[in-house]
Amino acid sequence: MAEGGYNAVLREQDSCEIHFEDTMKGGAWLNDPGLVRILVDEAPERVRDLLRWGAVFDVTDCCEVAQRPFGGQRFPRTCYAGDRTGHEMMMTLIDRLHSTGVSVVNEVTIVSLLKDGTRVNGAAGLDRNGELSIFLADSVVLASGGGTRIYDISTNSSSGTGDGYALGYQAGAELIDMEQVQFHPTGAVFPYDARGRLVTEAVRGEGGILKNARGERFMITYDPERMELSTRDVVARAIATEILEGRGTKNGGVFLDVTHLPRTQVESRLPVMLEQFLQFGVDIREEPMEVAPTAHHIMGGLRITGRCETTVPGLYACGEVAGGVHGANRLGGNALADTQVFGKRAGEAAGKADTKKNEADPVQIEAIRKRLEDLNGGDVNPATVVRSLQTAMWDGAGIFRNAADLERTLGIIGHLRTLRLKAATPANLAECCIAGHMLVYATLVVKGALLRKESRGAHVRQDITQVWDGQNSPYGHTYQSLSREGIEMEVKS
Amino acid sequence: MKDLSVRVFRYNPETDDQPHYQHYLVRVREGARVLHVLHAIHDEHDPSLSYRYCCGSGQCGSCAIRVNGDPVLACTKEAQDGITIEPLELPVQTDLVVNMEPYLEAISSLEPCGDFRMPTQEEVEAIKPLRSCIECLACVSACPALKVIEFAGPTAMREDMRLSLDPRDSSDRVTEAVADGLFTCTSCQVCWKVCPKDIEIPGKAIEKLRALANEKGLTLPRHREVEKMIRETGRSVDRAGTTFLEQIAGVLEPYGEVKGTVGFFVGCMYNQRLPQTALDAMEVLRRNGIRVIIPKEQICCGSPLIRTGQIGYLKTLQQRNIEAFVHRGIDTVMTMCAGCGSTLKNDYDCPFRVIDVNEVLLKFEIEPPARLPVKATYHDPCHLLRGQGIRTQPRELISRVVDLVEMPSICCGSGGGVRSGVPQEAAALAENRRKEIEKTGADIVISSCPFCEYHISEHTDRPVRNITTVLLEGYREKDKKKGLKEEV
Repeated sequence: MAEGGYNAVLREQDSCEIHFEDTMKGGAWLNDPGLVRILVDEAPERVRDLLRWGAVFDVTDCCEVAQRPFGGQRFPRTCYAGDRTGHEMMMTLIDRLHSTGVSVVNEVTIVSLLKDGTRVNGAAGLDRNGELSIFLADSVVLASGGGTRIYDISTNSSSGTGDGYALGYQAGAELIDMEQVQFHPTGAVFPYDARGRLVTEAVRGEGGILKNARGERFMITYDPERMELSTRDVVARAIATEILEGRGTKNGGVFLDVTHLPRTQVESRLPVMLEQFLQFGVDIREEPMEVAPTAHHIMGGLRITGRCETTVPGLYACGEVAGGVHGANRLGGNALADTQVFGKRAGEAAGKADTKKNEADPVQIEAIRKRLEDLNGGDVNPATVVRSLQTAMWDGAGIFRNAADLERTLGIIGHLRTLRLKAATPANLAECCIAGHMLVYATLVVKGALLRKESRGAHVRQDITQVWDGQNSPYGHTYQSLSREGIEMEVKS
Repeated sequence: MKDLSVRVFRYNPETDDQPHYQHYLVRVREGARVLHVLHAIHDEHDPSLSYRYCCGSGQCGSCAIRVNGDPVLACTKEAQDGITIEPLELPVQTDLVVNMEPYLEAISSLEPCGDFRMPTQEEVEAIKPLRSCIECLACVSACPALKVIEFAGPTAMREDMRLSLDPRDSSDRVTEAVADGLFTCTSCQVCWKVCPKDIEIPGKAIEKLRALANEKGLTLPRHREVEKMIRETGRSVDRAGTTFLEQIAGVLEPYGEVKGTVGFFVGCMYNQRLPQTALDAMEVLRRNGIRVIIPKEQICCGSPLIRTGQIGYLKTLQQRNIEAFVHRGIDTVMTMCAGCGSTLKNDYDCPFRVIDVNEVLLKFEIEPPARLPVKATYHDPCHLLRGQGIRTQPRELISRVVDLVEMPSICCGSGGGVRSGVPQEAAALAENRRKEIEKTGADIVISSCPFCEYHISEHTDRPVRNITTVLLEGYREKDKKKGLKEEV
């Protein structure tokens, strides 16, 4: 769960222009500048919304929202609620939703979007018992988050399976930059089953330092200027390199150390980290954490306009499922801002769209039923398929990539897609559908990685040498849809 | 890798008439949590197993279940061989999945004020300890009051208090909390002890809300009478005859060599209603070399006032009690009332050490009593077990005299002002105790708190004894046997 914070320009000494530049530079100039402009301009007002609705952010002694430094930013503009900022925002939003008359349907797995000709007009989902429900709507907003659970090591919760990318793709929407997967530099390495668990960037924001097994503060060789607070792509690669070259710990990580900080600072600013590590027998006030990169965020996603319209009428997208805002590397603290800024825009645009007479298309419903019925006759456990996918993605489409590995990974996914998944009980139908979505969406990630024949931001192609940096790249977005795929060529003025 | 054998609650209302337990043998890695055991069952043995989970790192509260009876988060609780995994004590939907909605809906939402004002740093710091709730409902599952009476539940009370502290909320949360059952809480503290986020709901929410209710004149009439009595007499209960303090010397010298000295804080119940129990305890102490100093100026500790939110007179009580002991140069004060002990330890800023009688008796090598041919069960007083963390000591002492049969540690209903304020709830909780006592087949019930002893004895046909009384009986039996031997 998001822990560290929310970027917003709130102080006179800071400016939206600087936030814009930091975001574009952090994203290796692959970001959609129009979307970035919206993000930085509206982030402050959206944090004020949260405050009006009762969010309990940390405040300064002058009653202003407190801000901490985060990687790749020239001003400490990350607002926070300890290290449980995401939780604080979710509680506030759920509370806000609770106080409205909006009807909420919980615990439904959407298995398909419904269309009326070219327009999306609803969705089909399964409840916990595997019963099919049909939702008809004038507008549908995908706000399904990301999906790094296609990787063996991931920070994501159980819902981070990328269903939104697959649903959008299958409904005909275009997705961009799907190869841009952010590996968070610091994930936990122990215990094995909890590997990948997020260790927030706030640890470094508060002054935490990285050391290899030899005790060397290695960031000096990768980014002597910004050190631990370099951008995530740089720090993740630095850690991965240290480990690959034999300077890692025996658990396969590096050390992240806050023992030099005052104990009270650790206790008040990083309470969740303290509690989590204590549960696994490590007191971070006394000894360093062990960390290694973990798949964290998908920068790519459905192509959207500033009104969060996708390329399919009736379908909107916001947050991590949408692409373009963060380019090739997201700054820590920009995702939470993104959720609020574009969440509001998507909701407004969808809400103001024309109402229509909606009818479910019986042919589509029948096809969905048929697909579900086939799962009863399958023979492969979806859990096995997901595990194979996760291993293949981590090995072949991880931090360092090359065409041969990517092709091989694509082959493995292709094979997995031919298997007939088995739903042992009606409740397992949803699991099978999710596994199917993961395979569709992983394919997009790998194909995007093959389409982008350059290293940029989080995407590194070791088999390609290039003479340009992100700002001077000849390439724009990669794009994939049912009808076309390719990479945009930038027209340099 | 290691193999674990676990027992899992299974229930599918579509196919099963009754819930049942199923055993699984799973292979997991070192350090695996209970959640990973559930994954292993689901992925490798039985895909029909239903359970909720989401973040996997203790931050979302989705995976709350019970392990060996205690509510925990499956993702943070380390898995062990032989555990029993069950759903929370809420209506079961399937297997480990329960219906959380009614209790989540009972949690109030902030109603923004017209004029927005940022909370100050001080306000934020006050709100924070109540804000980290992840709505896992472990507290609701464990709350004994909810088993016998309707009320919004511990976490709803927590949110009411958080909202009362927030300048952005416009509603009257105190009146709302009173209507939602604020006075049904027995301050047993189980909600706090099971909370994965360590939120001190009784002390930081319930008692604070009751204090705010007091300011609004919403204190229950019966509680107001207790407050009046304390102001007028220094005692929270009526006397039943000669009090303990009236019939005891100021210093009790032990029979033999002096091993240690303690001050004794008797408390209202033992002083006014159950003086014989306190006298029994004095005998046990004297027999074991402990000198007891008993300042006569001591009065009510103030626990009934704190628990019911009537804190106006509290400072006076605290000062007078502290002075009474400081004046005599006492560095260790012994309590034998669990409520007084918990209050002195947690709600006072004492310049002396406070120690429960069970701790005192185990600290000194006490003389072994004779064994009595009696089967006993032990009732854990909430303010001893959770208020003071004393669990093993009473059991060790009891086991030296009689055979101990365990029963679940659940509140008897006498605390938190519930016995006086909501008597039907207190009676229902005691009735649940009676059933548990019956199940053990014990001849007597032993406890270590006058409120519990008094309350339980009204609801069971078994004799209810204090630990020290039973020890004394053991000593008397020993003396009797010795006397017989000498006679022969």
